[in-house]
Amino acid sequence: MENLMTQNTNQKKNYDFEFFGKGSEYFAIMIVNWLLTLVTLGLYYPWARAKRLRYVYGQTALNNEHFHFAGTGKEMFRGFIKIILFYIAVMISYLVLLKVVKLPLLAILFLYLAFFAIIPFAIHGSFRYRMSRTSYRGIRFGYRGNRNEIVKKFFKWVFFTIITLGIYSAWLQMNIRKYTHQNIRYGDVEFSNNANGGDWLLLNLKGYFLTIITLGIYSFWWQSEIFAYYIDNMRMTKGEQRIKCSSTATGGGFFELLIVNFLITAFTLGFGKAWADMRTQKFIFDNVKMEGDINIDEIHQTEDEYTNAFGEDAMDFFEIDLA
Amino acid sequence: MKNTIDAKYYNGQSSAPLKATVVLNDRTNEFHLQIAGEISFVWLLKDLQFEQYGHILEVRNTNYSDAILKIDDKYFSEKFYAAMKQNNSIDIHTRLLNLGLSKITAIAVCLLGLIVLAYFYVLPPIAEKTAALLPESFDNEIGNLFMDTFLRENNIDTTKTKYLEQFAAELDLKNRNPLRFTVVKSKEVNAFALPNGQIVVFSAILENMESFEELVALLGHEASHVNYRHSIKMLCRNLAGYMTVSLIFSDVNGVMALLADNAQRLHSLSYSRSFEQEADEQGLEILMNNMVDPNGMVKLFEQLVKKSDIYIPKIISSHPLTKERKENMHKIISETVYEIKSNDKLNSIFEYIKN
Repeated sequence: MENLMTQNTNQKKNYDFEFFGKGSEYFAIMIVNWLLTLVTLGLYYPWARAKRLRYVYGQTALNNEHFHFAGTGKEMFRGFIKIILFYIAVMISYLVLLKVVKLPLLAILFLYLAFFAIIPFAIHGSFRYRMSRTSYRGIRFGYRGNRNEIVKKFFKWVFFTIITLGIYSAWLQMNIRKYTHQNIRYGDVEFSNNANGGDWLLLNLKGYFLTIITLGIYSFWWQSEIFAYYIDNMRMTKGEQRIKCSSTATGGGFFELLIVNFLITAFTLGFGKAWADMRTQKFIFDNVKMEGDINIDEIHQTEDEYTNAFGEDAMDFFEIDLA
Repeated sequence: MKNTIDAKYYNGQSSAPLKATVVLNDRTNEFHLQIAGEISFVWLLKDLQFEQYGHILEVRNTNYSDAILKIDDKYFSEKFYAAMKQNNSIDIHTRLLNLGLSKITAIAVCLLGLIVLAYFYVLPPIAEKTAALLPESFDNEIGNLFMDTFLRENNIDTTKTKYLEQFAAELDLKNRNPLRFTVVKSKEVNAFALPNGQIVVFSAILENMESFEELVALLGHEASHVNYRHSIKMLCRNLAGYMTVSLIFSDVNGVMALLADNAQRLHSLSYSRSFEQEADEQGLEILMNNMVDPNGMVKLFEQLVKKSDIYIPKIISSHPLTKERKENMHKIISETVYEIKSNDKLNSIFEYIKN
């Protein structure tokens, strides 16, 4: 077994992202998902979700090789059942506190805390599952974050956010991002993220005020700065080799993307959303540039298989959105 | 079919592509692979999963889920799909997708059409049957719940309430359960009935009336809504309707919100056309049974329409087909033999209510 190209290890490599998804194909998947979900009175939902994710991942290619999402409806269905059980347990405890112990204040506090406490678990579970089920050229992604660590950190950052009357939330967001990203692996490639709360706060304050002053026009440029901040801070390393990511998106680009998406969706009574979603994905991958010298022909499998989908559905169930 | 196809193979250990050759034997449902001219093994079709990107086929084996075989050959791709189909290895989702967008859309449109038909013709009778199964204690509970909050925001006119009770006591409203009557001070021209038998009349609607027959007509109409459990039936219908809609949009969490919302707006709950007609006709019968001039119902409609020059009273606005309803009343009155007795008692109580 010999690698086809193993020379030039220190030379700059070409990385070319492409997104091939077509609105018509995505729309067909959505309709079939809808049909099967309807016929099964909603039970098909996790399978539908798996089909959708599989299409989006599969249509994303780097140097002409497609990504792959291996998650199945069955795994996500199990995750969904766990969420339901958690929900029922919380509601029962709440009702016991309220009706039997008769401590209404404590009951409400418990309810809020329970649903709040699930967030770091959901983040952890979701990363763990999503990454482990994603692969490229047969090499799995993985997430090595420690659950107890992120739970502790999460509450610490939330505490800081509360005592700074919300100002620290910029750090909360970026710290979570940094922690999760630096624990992502692709085979023996390690990810990292240089984001920091201070820059993030300034970027958003500037965006907010300029958007107001320009009566909303600046919002597209704000959006492009947010996107650039997410992408520019991503790094990958493999031993001495590294890759740096950068955004090539412009405010004008976002303007065109969002306005056309809006028109497509509005004039088709929402049916055009499939096309709008595909345009967005294409825009994202067209505007991510990677530069560096990691040879993507030389990555080795390091991550274990993992099939617990608890977080995957928790994120969906509680409508938590990971940017 | 070509015997041997060139392919690319990723072994799941390294990201380096390897050269491979593949032979598909569609009689034994096997895949013979030879990797880099050295290792060779056999994959069984039943273990395989695949993705198609145009002509490009990516095949994975569930036993070694990381290994990928990538074949770029249109003819092979078709042959492979047919073999997988014969082997029952293609799930319903992929089968449906392969029908093509126009057929899928046609199926979806047909199904949606069926649901819409069911929504209008199957749902209402089912909802009514469900309502019939609900115990009357449910009617009372939901009515009381609403009345409690309603009274927190509105003032009762105790004197007029007392007269209205006396007025109603003189009538046979064909009710099975006790009815309660309340007059609230309000500039709104309105009246409504709650499922617990509570009938609320707003003072402004009384001021607009010219004869006691109109009041009998109003009470007859509202009492019939109670007698026939219209609000509970509407509640069931709305709920079932919402469940259907949320099923269509795969959104289940809005049902409770709807229940709460409906309970809060019981007084402006618009009844369906057939429920209004039933209340009109039953109300008319109550008028006739009590030997009160049934034209009171027609006059009530006319009064309400006349007062609507400036603004449209709620009781009319939620009943947009007033003209049709009036004609229906005329028709029934002209076809029915009825007897009228002058009723001084009702008339005098009515005078008290008016002042």
